[in-house]
Amino acid sequence: MPDQEKEKPVPSAAPVVPAPPAEAPPKPAAAEPELNQFFFGESLVGLDPRELNGTLIVIEGMDGSGRSTQIALLQEWLESEGFSVQTSGLRRSNLVGRDIDELLAKNAVTRLTLALMYATDFFDQLEHRIVPALRAGAVVLADRFIFTLIARGVVRGINRDYLTGLYAMALRPNLTFWLNVRPETAFAREFKKAQAISYWEAGRDMSLSHDLYWSFVRYQTMIKRELESMAKRNAFIELDGEASVPAVNKQLRQRIAEQLGIRGSKYAPSSALAHLWR
Amino acid sequence: MDNQESIVKAPPRPEASKTTLPQPGRPVPSRAYPGALIVVEGTDGSGKSTQLYLLKRWLEIGGYRLHFTEWNSSPLVKSATRRGKQKRLLTPTTFSLLHAADFADRCERQIMPLLQGDYLVLADRYIYTAFARDAARGCSHRWLRNLYRFAPVPDITFYFRAPLEVAVDRILSGRPKLKYYEAGMDLGLSYERAESFKLFQARILDEYDKMVDTDNFVVLDGTLPVNKLQKQMRDIVASKIDLKRFASRAPEAE
Repeated sequence: MPDQEKEKPVPSAAPVVPAPPAEAPPKPAAAEPELNQFFFGESLVGLDPRELNGTLIVIEGMDGSGRSTQIALLQEWLESEGFSVQTSGLRRSNLVGRDIDELLAKNAVTRLTLALMYATDFFDQLEHRIVPALRAGAVVLADRFIFTLIARGVVRGINRDYLTGLYAMALRPNLTFWLNVRPETAFAREFKKAQAISYWEAGRDMSLSHDLYWSFVRYQTMIKRELESMAKRNAFIELDGEASVPAVNKQLRQRIAEQLGIRGSKYAPSSALAHLWR
Repeated sequence: MDNQESIVKAPPRPEASKTTLPQPGRPVPSRAYPGALIVVEGTDGSGKSTQLYLLKRWLEIGGYRLHFTEWNSSPLVKSATRRGKQKRLLTPTTFSLLHAADFADRCERQIMPLLQGDYLVLADRYIYTAFARDAARGCSHRWLRNLYRFAPVPDITFYFRAPLEVAVDRILSGRPKLKYYEAGMDLGLSYERAESFKLFQARILDEYDKMVDTDNFVVLDGTLPVNKLQKQMRDIVASKIDLKRFASRAPEAE
């Protein structure tokens, strides 16, 4: 017999996860207000969000904004404070992470298929990595989240409502940081890293310019505009990604310490990570 | 919201507005392209694949321009699906998304171009398979309908309806062992595969029945003799679709 109980977990009135800011986006179909405290409009099949008592922290920002550096440092700091940390990021799922890498390498995929593969990758990590960690009370540091994925689709002409509907079952983060940098700065940093700019970072599938630099700058500007348009509704905490690594890190630690109830946020990286501290 | 709308309406480059591909977000009406789309749906063992094969032979022998497409046939997601099934990584959500990615690939690269190019497209299973099966797994209808909004609406959707026992018997007698996901074991309905399969199929049948009116299914009785059913099917196709338009334009070079 179909057991209806499993289909839609109804969140309780007393949530464990803190509620997002009041300006949660109104959804077309009236979803229960409790539901929107945990999700973006729909509940994830088989998940009771009341079981989650960890903290989900998202770091958004374009390529070259310093996300991965900051996440490495935050992980060390949180672990030294005694918190269990899990990380997630794009294309890291066991299910399709490698398949997406292959598709990107072959450049033989249409925009919609790619968007849906990224969605599969996202939900596989959400269900197999993020949710179990949150159940166990860990802090999850997510290197980008649905916002980048939605932005990438929208700039390629995929309907915005379609994409937000697709990610309606994503968990709402407790904190979302946005490391904002100018595309020009990001270009310099990315170029320094690899001595080249990749096809996808430059958005070359969009035929914006044959000049790689301009292609990169235009593409990243479009993505940035999309993130800007999502910033307010989703309570992004915007940080100046052009500031020094220690300065950005300090701001991140202060806000996270507040969220987790850590007293003081003093930190200096170990010798293993000292090279990032410049 | 205003500036968001304008971004969607003004794609990044001018060519995008001329694209032949569907704009995800709006259902693609059948008048948007010259071709025609015929779909068969139904539970496993309802006889639909046999019937579509016979319809295809009839049209091929008649010399019509056509293309046949199957659910879950693209190499794109094959390795991921296999890995997901072997290691039982798939959840209702990722199961659904992976099939949607596969369908999107087929839709953008085969179905839509063929419809634009004035072909008859025959599809063995279509988005309704996902609606029925994924809803039976617990995915929400609203989410599923959104997920497949980019798919063109079929000109005819044949729904082969067979009583649960008939369909289940056909499958169980023809197959040595039911696979884990096929039997819906991931739902935890029963520890016994055959029993789980029956319960899962009952849910799917239920979901199909709900779509008969909302999605204009042409319901056919899957228990009728094969040739009788095929006659019904051909009559309906001939009456609903102007087949003359799909006759080969140029005589085949010999």
